[in-house]
Amino acid sequence: MDITSLFTQFLSGLTYGTILFLVAAGLSLIFGVMNILNFAHAALWLMGAYFSYTFWNLMQDYSFGFWLSIPLAGLAAAAVGWVMEVVLIKRIYKRELYEQLLITYSIALILSDTIKLTWGVTNKLIVRPEIIQKPVFIFGAPLDSYFIFVILAGAAVASGLWWFLKYTRYGHIVKAAVHSREMVAALGIPIPRIYTWVFTLGIFLAGFAGGIQAPIGSITLGMDTAIIIQAFCVVVIGGFGSLLGTLVGSLIVGEVMSFTILFWPEGAMVLIFVITAAILIVRPWGLFGTPMRT
Amino acid sequence: MKNKYLFPVALFLLAIALPYIVPEFWVHVLTEILIMGLFAASFNMVFGYMGQLTFGHAAYYGVGAYTTGLLMVKANVPLLLCLPLSMLSAGLCAAVLGYFCVKLRGIYFAILTMAFGQLVYYIIFQWYSFTGGDNGLQGIVPPAFLGKAANPYYFFTLIVVAIGMIALWIISESPFGYTMRAIRDNAERTEFIGINVQRYMHLNFIIAAMFAGLAGALWGPFNRSVAPDLCNWQHSGMPVFMTVMGGPFNFLGPLIGSAIYTMLMAFVTSFTEYWPMVSGIIIILVVLLLPGGLLGLLEDKFPFLRRKDDSEKGAEE
Repeated sequence: MDITSLFTQFLSGLTYGTILFLVAAGLSLIFGVMNILNFAHAALWLMGAYFSYTFWNLMQDYSFGFWLSIPLAGLAAAAVGWVMEVVLIKRIYKRELYEQLLITYSIALILSDTIKLTWGVTNKLIVRPEIIQKPVFIFGAPLDSYFIFVILAGAAVASGLWWFLKYTRYGHIVKAAVHSREMVAALGIPIPRIYTWVFTLGIFLAGFAGGIQAPIGSITLGMDTAIIIQAFCVVVIGGFGSLLGTLVGSLIVGEVMSFTILFWPEGAMVLIFVITAAILIVRPWGLFGTPMRT
Repeated sequence: MKNKYLFPVALFLLAIALPYIVPEFWVHVLTEILIMGLFAASFNMVFGYMGQLTFGHAAYYGVGAYTTGLLMVKANVPLLLCLPLSMLSAGLCAAVLGYFCVKLRGIYFAILTMAFGQLVYYIIFQWYSFTGGDNGLQGIVPPAFLGKAANPYYFFTLIVVAIGMIALWIISESPFGYTMRAIRDNAERTEFIGINVQRYMHLNFIIAAMFAGLAGALWGPFNRSVAPDLCNWQHSGMPVFMTVMGGPFNFLGPLIGSAIYTMLMAFVTSFTEYWPMVSGIIIILVVLLLPGGLLGLLEDKFPFLRRKDDSEKGAEE
């Protein structure tokens, strides 16, 4: 096996890891702050992909339509997420774990069928603009030129989130809430409003990730059921509520998937779950997380 | 004491009478109710009695289903022998995986059981030469003495499920069952009185998996096939729905929940393909409006139904 093909494999792992990071970042944020494991996250990701298809379709005559449809997909998904939080999720923060899981799981079921009702069962395909139709070569390794955009977008979101958490007032509040909600509330900060916006931000990230995913292949129903479990794995490996952990976790999962395919294709997912289980057993709070209140 | 057994016996008699009254389609539905009811009741050994949420219980159901399927298709082993072997294989799986799960609590327990469940799912899904991969296994035919009609297999299922439920009942009412309740209510104090909490939880996890395996074993011959989807996380959600619908703080809650869920599904899918949406709405309503499930509601309205020893279950914890 030569170095070029290994490099190709590395790049494809990096791309997949980036997509996973975009999906998992919101999941991790929502869990870290509100302790809610959002089963509906991937359904909103898929909805983002369909939104992006619709926007692209409406703006086909304009050259910027393709690029604009991606952030718009994020905003549209965020609107759905906001409604979800205000109507349902708000009511379950203080409920039992199983009730929270059942509610988000039910929302996932409802959203999946809503997608089916709205966009139908046929696969949707977004035609890319010409500049990103041909592969590029990096050190002789071919790479889909759109993947460069994916990786850049992932890096931009990661740094944006990092900046938000480190340098803004609201970022500080969110970080403080991950550690102790009671303390934050005691300081007079309106926790319910913070929760609503953290949830909406998390869902924006999911929708944005869906928009980024959409032009990679065709958009199909049921794409979400596989990725939600992988995103859980990412969050578990990296640690709930840790941005750095989510980044490292997604790159681990992406690269493991990508390299396992070379020598043991059937075992890719099995290996991911073995790693996840091992982390949970040895260090339940993940590589970069902190032991949490239960 | 007198009316303790009244409801289960009435239910059993009803179960005997029903196939002679309802059309054949509903006999199939009844069979499914029983199989899923046993599955949900086994799940509730971990959830209701031990206080931990497992989101990977379908793995053991699937292992049971595949054990029976493989033995019947590849080795022509008689069904009656397959049932205990399925329990054994599901139990062995749980002995290995459960060893790690019981070290964790709460959300970590839920996620680890789910990760292990998916692990089992992907192994079955990818191992084409042995399990048939995503094609599953076809041609699992019930033995000749049960014939081809719906009724005989229904009665066979009824007998097996009844034995399974009685066994689970005996276990849940034994000192072991009460130890489980103690662990659920306060694991720390239970440890202090000299009980090895992890070992008890592990044992309970294995027992629950064995009965899930038994339920799975009944599924293959009923459906004439098994598929890897039986093991995945969506299928692990079913006993959670059923138990929450029926009432987790009541031994028969999961079975009642299975009846409601399965009948609703049979009814709704007959006129729309959007069952997932309908079920999602129903589950949300149940969780928000009926926290104790249907039996919990009935007990609140009619206090005489409540059994003394179970009256102050940990609903408030």
